[in-house]
Amino acid sequence: MTLLTNKLFLVVERDIRLFFQYKFLIIMRSIWFVSQIVLFGLIASRMVNISDYFQYYVAGLSVMMLYSTALFIGFDIYEEAEHGVFEYLLSLPVSRRQLVLGRSIGGGLRAFIYVGPLIFVALYVIGAVNPLNFLIAFFSLFLFAFGVSGMSITIAVIIKSSDRFDILMGVLDALIVRLSTAMYPLAVVQQANPVYGGLTQFNPVSFASDLFRWGTGIEAIISLSNPLAPLLGIIAFFSFFTFVGIIIYDKRIEGGGWQ
Amino acid sequence: MKVSNSAILNIVEYDFRNFLRYKWWLVGLISMNLADLFIMALVYNKMLNVQAAGITNYFNFFAPGLAVTGLFASAFMIGREINMERRREVHHYMLSLPMTRLELAVGRVLSGGLRGIIYMSPLLLTCFAFVGVPSFPQLLLIVAVLFLLAIGISGLSIAIAVSTSSLEKFITARGVVYYALFFCSSVFYPLSLIQQLGQEGKFPMPLVVLAEINPLSSASDMIRAFLLGTPTFSVNMILSVIIFSAVFTFSAAFAYIKIIERK
Repeated sequence: MTLLTNKLFLVVERDIRLFFQYKFLIIMRSIWFVSQIVLFGLIASRMVNISDYFQYYVAGLSVMMLYSTALFIGFDIYEEAEHGVFEYLLSLPVSRRQLVLGRSIGGGLRAFIYVGPLIFVALYVIGAVNPLNFLIAFFSLFLFAFGVSGMSITIAVIIKSSDRFDILMGVLDALIVRLSTAMYPLAVVQQANPVYGGLTQFNPVSFASDLFRWGTGIEAIISLSNPLAPLLGIIAFFSFFTFVGIIIYDKRIEGGGWQ
Repeated sequence: MKVSNSAILNIVEYDFRNFLRYKWWLVGLISMNLADLFIMALVYNKMLNVQAAGITNYFNFFAPGLAVTGLFASAFMIGREINMERRREVHHYMLSLPMTRLELAVGRVLSGGLRGIIYMSPLLLTCFAFVGVPSFPQLLLIVAVLFLLAIGISGLSIAIAVSTSSLEKFITARGVVYYALFFCSSVFYPLSLIQQLGQEGKFPMPLVVLAEINPLSSASDMIRAFLLGTPTFSVNMILSVIIFSAVFTFSAAFAYIKIIERK
């Protein structure tokens, strides 16, 4: 059991180390985060008639950041396939399941390690936190990051072209983030278009954003009366993409199926 | 120095062929831009504070800004290609072509600008379809100003591409330029709002000045002036774009010639 955990840990560790090699990407994402807060967030909050929109937006921004960082594991998979690293990974004394599970955990964990400090920056900017609620929210963000990472791996192994993956991720990102409560409250989205409202309601980014706001304990930006439904939504999202991802990845990597 | 048009046209053709190789990427990019307009702008429209923002419809306000956003993204693509050519040493082949360095540099800047205009066209047409149609002289002026802006952006992109040694550095520099130019402009929100925040001491004055002289602000506001009637059209809008375009076209051409000749 210890040996199995150690092997899993090695896969996770490798993915985390790999991520922190992208220094410029990390810098760029941080600049994006800060400029979204101090420029867009500040000015946009003046433009809308929603009280405490700045705090609302900053909380959503943290979830958007977590989402886009967790997606990055899919690009690593393409890099590896392109440079022949896949064969090396398959030759390691690690089972396929450990490899896939490790990658999914590694993808989520590295996103969390990177975004974690930014989440605390966001909390500082927002100005308050309810420790107990926030622990639950923090846990749900963990699951959310693993789920997104699993989703990225699943899509990456289904679509064999890195260009198509890049495009699909961009379009998916545009739709998933914009049709969520990361940037605006659900009631406004429903008012703008009921179809958008329906989609926004069942979006994992909405679940994560709403839970994060609930975790801050700031009454003005809390949009949830009961956190159970979004929490269950995130658990379902995480379970689906982690386990389905494992099965698909497991099947695809045999016999050069990724090529 | 003699400049041959056919040599420049060959370079433009070469860059256009490269551009069309990314057709799915372009479709994806247009979809993302349209998602911004038909989802984000529609929702923001519902929570708009008309009095504070000084605009009555965010969708109409944002549509011209979106055309400029698309223009920026596509005109900037030339820099990515030149950066890649430099890293893969394709520029040795480019230098061996029977044309002068100046023709090569002018061709690259020009094609970057033309590609930007072509990519931006569906977004501009969407804007006209939903916001309003300009008169013919106004249309000509819009296209001319956007073309100049696209050339300036591709010049800026080339200048960054040849001064950065890796794709990561290029992408980082592009990100910084992108965020500075877009967030400190009137693409997403009215200039008056930025000026108001600056007067209240809540927004740094150098960034307010950047927003005022930013060519992206000028181009977006000029389209708004023609389609919506606000802000009022001013010749300064055109001047700002001309200065930006002249500075970056010449500096890009100069930097490109210097760098590709370096061993």
